[in-house]
Amino acid sequence: MNTLFESVKKQSVASITFNIIVLLTVIICFLPLIPGLSGLGFAAFGYIPAIDKYTFSLDGFTDLLAWPGLQQSILLTLFVGIASTLLSALCCFAILQSCWRSRWWHKIETLLAPIMALPHVAFAIGFAFLFTPSGFIARIFGEQINLQLVHDQYGLGLIAALTLKEIPFLLFMSIPLLKQLNINTTLITAKSLGYNNAQAWQKIILPQWLPKIRFSLFAVMAYSISVVDVALIIGPTRPPTLSVLVWQWLNDADLATLPKASAGALVLLVICLIILLSIRASEWLITIKCRTWQTNGRFSLPIGGKTIISVTYLITLITLPILMLWTFAQRWRFPDIIPSRWSLRFWQQEWTYLLEIIANSIMIAVISATIALFFAIVIHEHSIKATTNKRFLKVPRLLISIPMLAPQLSLLFGIQVATLYIANQYYYLWVIWAHIFFAFPYIFLALDGPWRSYDQRLDKVALSLGMSPFKTWWKVKGPLLLPAIWIAWAVGISVSLAQYLPTLMLGAGRISTLTTEAVALSSGQDRRISAIYALLQSLTPFVFYIIAIVASRRSGSLEQQPSTSTSTSTSKIRVTTRNVSVSQQSKHP
Amino acid sequence: MRKLFVSLSLLVISAFSQATTLDWQAVEQKAKGQTVYFYAWGGSPEINNYLRWVDKRLNSEYGVRLTHVKVGDIAEAITRLAAEKTAKKNTNGSVDMVWVNGENFKSMKRYNLITDSFATQLPNWQYVDKTLPVDSDFSEPTLGLEAPWGVGQLVFIYDTETLTAPPTSFNDMLAYAIKHPNKLSYPKPPSFHGTSFLKAALLELTNDNSPLYLPVDNKTFASISAPLWDYLDKFHTVAWRKGKQFPASAAETIQLLDDGELDIAISFNPNEATTSQQSGKLSETATAYAMQAGALSNIHFLSIPWNATAKEGALVAINFLLSPEAQSRKGDLAIWGDPTVLAPQYITGSAKNTKLFKSIPEPHPSWQTALEAEWQKRYGH
Repeated sequence: MNTLFESVKKQSVASITFNIIVLLTVIICFLPLIPGLSGLGFAAFGYIPAIDKYTFSLDGFTDLLAWPGLQQSILLTLFVGIASTLLSALCCFAILQSCWRSRWWHKIETLLAPIMALPHVAFAIGFAFLFTPSGFIARIFGEQINLQLVHDQYGLGLIAALTLKEIPFLLFMSIPLLKQLNINTTLITAKSLGYNNAQAWQKIILPQWLPKIRFSLFAVMAYSISVVDVALIIGPTRPPTLSVLVWQWLNDADLATLPKASAGALVLLVICLIILLSIRASEWLITIKCRTWQTNGRFSLPIGGKTIISVTYLITLITLPILMLWTFAQRWRFPDIIPSRWSLRFWQQEWTYLLEIIANSIMIAVISATIALFFAIVIHEHSIKATTNKRFLKVPRLLISIPMLAPQLSLLFGIQVATLYIANQYYYLWVIWAHIFFAFPYIFLALDGPWRSYDQRLDKVALSLGMSPFKTWWKVKGPLLLPAIWIAWAVGISVSLAQYLPTLMLGAGRISTLTTEAVALSSGQDRRISAIYALLQSLTPFVFYIIAIVASRRSGSLEQQPSTSTSTSTSKIRVTTRNVSVSQQSKHP
Repeated sequence: MRKLFVSLSLLVISAFSQATTLDWQAVEQKAKGQTVYFYAWGGSPEINNYLRWVDKRLNSEYGVRLTHVKVGDIAEAITRLAAEKTAKKNTNGSVDMVWVNGENFKSMKRYNLITDSFATQLPNWQYVDKTLPVDSDFSEPTLGLEAPWGVGQLVFIYDTETLTAPPTSFNDMLAYAIKHPNKLSYPKPPSFHGTSFLKAALLELTNDNSPLYLPVDNKTFASISAPLWDYLDKFHTVAWRKGKQFPASAAETIQLLDDGELDIAISFNPNEATTSQQSGKLSETATAYAMQAGALSNIHFLSIPWNATAKEGALVAINFLLSPEAQSRKGDLAIWGDPTVLAPQYITGSAKNTKLFKSIPEPHPSWQTALEAEWQKRYGH
């Protein structure tokens, strides 16, 4: 009797502690939204104390609408966002269909790390080195190859670069999902029912993959709509995309453009939301509403996943040696294939400063990614509780994704003012907090698929065998999800390493990271120096991806033991679930 | 009565120029141990290295550290200061010193983001060349709120190997472009150099440029600026990529010149051709020149925000940057090559050889905004 009482008490203490942690998470991860969004709203409607505007007005919007070229800019933004998201999703699925568990799959997975690790800015710089009319490709093939992909009118170069950069991200996110989808069983079953491989993938796996990858697609879409740095390097210029316009207005020396900038930022946010809803709607159409194509067995689309993956890897990886060459080039003039004069000067000049900057970047990234990871796990667990127990409020997904979807600059202006009112001299505190805030949604998203696919019945079994909820997590769920957790951590680190604006604005420039230096230097167009920073910017996250991949292989759950075919021993241990339904299986006792 | 008036006006003038007198010894004393956060454009390795040297010298001489906060555009710092103003953060600000001129200075002045007048009270002010227009910034009076640091002149760079006689007027430039299409362009406004190109062209193309030194009048703007738009309409049809695209910055025009895509690049540093050769960005045959009418000239300045934490350190740093030693090194062609603001007799080394071109003063700052807006309306999309 006593022991029972004790265990009840223990449980309630544990659940109170857990609820306190949830509350803390909500405060840390969502509190900045209040000053961020309200600051944006106030500024958009003309209330900006900074420039002595204390009355509400629609001047910002009038200025915005009067801007020549606004419609084209918005259309361009939509085009870039939708095209790159669609393309990367299609390409990713094509690759999965053609290569999943094939002979090359192991190679593809191994190579994902360096490809993923390459930051957008570094990739954009490399992409430009390749594709300008005086770029590497023109140097090799001669001038008849006149690619106008950099700064072209329709943003095709920007779409190409974003797509190439997002395919690996989506692949990366799909791996843990597919591992939990029992692909092999599905394919065998489908074959026995007379479907060929392509049909099975497109009609059975696609509808399951799509809802799970949804959040990643949101992230890709939001990123391509609100990206500033990449768009500046290779995007269209007449007019530029809306995010670039907003960035330029916010950075205008004349502070009177602030209302227009804030109104633009608000419009950008609305555009993001509209497209986000349309992605959700089209997913619903494909998977729920119009399902006849899934059962109509005749038709399937042929797709060349192998070609796509080769092209993606080739273009991405070739940028690295070119960047490397540039770092040693004293003189490298068009149309030379290799530099005519070499020099170690740039490395020597920067080296002493670089070490400090690298250490600083890594420290911030590890701290913020680890904290954000902990919070993301807490929120996921809380969501599961909230679904089963109606007393809890669920944290809405949209709220979680706002930091990912809202243009950073607009949120940051409000956040920055808030820190000034409190105590802005704690620069590291604010920067790390901001990194947690912006990395959190990505980590949450990286864990989203695995958490949804986790078989809840394992927990039920463990609990019914008398384990405490915490022990159940620690002994059963944690180990099974550890590979996904490692990967999410690496994603968080790379997100933190890539943060430019939060570091600059909240760190008041007193905190230098590889990214802040790289962006500042890129404005000077000195290819040699830009290349050094771009290279190191790629190398740092790469190291962490390698760590994460090795660790996740080591901690591999049952399905991840390296094997060419799923051995029978694992399938005996595994609690198989019917892979047709993706809904929570809480209905089953 | 008249005497009274004179003395009163003298009082007013002296109140402006001598708002506070600096006790320099006390300033140096207080500055010891301070770290100055200097917000400045960080795109040029040459400039960054120069500032690293300044940090070393300041540290050994005065115990002051200078940290260069590299920004892509100095307006970022202005936005930051505006935010601090909003929060009424009037002490312990994060920015101690900024590198500004033109539009950015005007903004800082307008929103009261600058400390009290200080420039003329610096010990090294005595060396400054007073024949340069150091008391006005794009025709905006500086009132000692910022100290001059260097001179900028709008010059053009070409490669003598590919081009023997470069066009020395804007009309010649058009003629050249008609003969050699797809080889000339200018940075896209509102980038600093792009707008400067527009101003320089208009100054030359208009018959009477006196209105350009007065505030823009909306009634006459269209007729005064008409020659420029006529010119650009013709120029764009034969410009690089048919005027559908423009280089993003002056730095990009230099890259494009080296790539052979453009025949003429643009810069605000008369020594840029030489320094770029030394760092390997341009070939040995590149050289700079100015238009026959002269080069649009301005001065770039250093200023201190009203809420700077290391105000004394910033004063010591600015004073050091105005010393003959620092200015000579800044003008050294192997270092940065930025022309000095000191009288020539104080300068040593290769900086001595810098010859400035005939100068054309900057128009009234209101023209900048008006031309940018009109350009955007006509060609920006």
